[in-house]
Amino acid sequence: MSAEGHHPAPVSPVEQRVAALEALLTERGLVPEGFIEEITRRYESEIGPMNGAKVVARAWVDPQYKQRLLAGATAAIAELGFGGPEGDHMVVVENTPGIHNVIVCTLCSCYPWPVLGLPPAWYKDPPYRARMVREPRTVLAEMGCPLPSETEIRVWDSSAEVRYLVLPERPPGTAGMTEAELARLVTRDSMIGVARL
Amino acid sequence: MSTPLSLQDLDLPRRNGELAFDAPWQSTVFALAAAVTEHAFGGDREPFRQQLIAAIAADPGRPYWESWTAALEALVQTLPDQPRP
Repeated sequence: MSAEGHHPAPVSPVEQRVAALEALLTERGLVPEGFIEEITRRYESEIGPMNGAKVVARAWVDPQYKQRLLAGATAAIAELGFGGPEGDHMVVVENTPGIHNVIVCTLCSCYPWPVLGLPPAWYKDPPYRARMVREPRTVLAEMGCPLPSETEIRVWDSSAEVRYLVLPERPPGTAGMTEAELARLVTRDSMIGVARL
Repeated sequence: MSTPLSLQDLDLPRRNGELAFDAPWQSTVFALAAAVTEHAFGGDREPFRQQLIAAIAADPGRPYWESWTAALEALVQTLPDQPRP
């Protein structure tokens, strides 16, 4: 007989701390039954960049929607059924041939959850947070998004109450596509502004 | 000024749809912060955000979800001592 099973993987210190928090907060009645599972399920399967992609595709095909989106993003995004935590002060910034927008949170990890889900690891890491503000053109080129020198780059720091979403330019050659087909072209990175379509 | 890490050093995800969490404790501590925000602060996310900013500033190189955990621990310290009725 092997000793397998007698020595379960050791629990890391941070796992122990989280377990202690869970026990404490549950005891205080702050964590309803099933809450953790429900939040996890939602952020792993329902809330993500596919939501933002639908917003972008609608803006591409419907000029009036786009106007509403740029004038009042929170309400326009809610029209498509998306809202909730980290999405109540949304601003959409539009890329044009001469202007490229990119979002960052210099102090922590603010991010438009309802339309993009939780941020990717690199968005939360110090190099991106510090350097995107200081040398956006260089960082964008390193991330595979080189821009012509005449393109103006606007960096939006989400540290205030506002959460930004980039409206990428509609790619050429997509005139005949349906809204659903267009939505499939839209990537998360293009809505953060670290990629073009 | 210290030299920032190059972005080349990071494992940059290039695709959509990556899992939000790498381990169960990360989704647990994420949800716990949501629970405290919702049920102890009436949905106001600012108290937790301020703790997260402080936790990241205190140890910028620490893995993100560990800073998140530290932020939640600090926030819990600010709750009243008695369990809610």
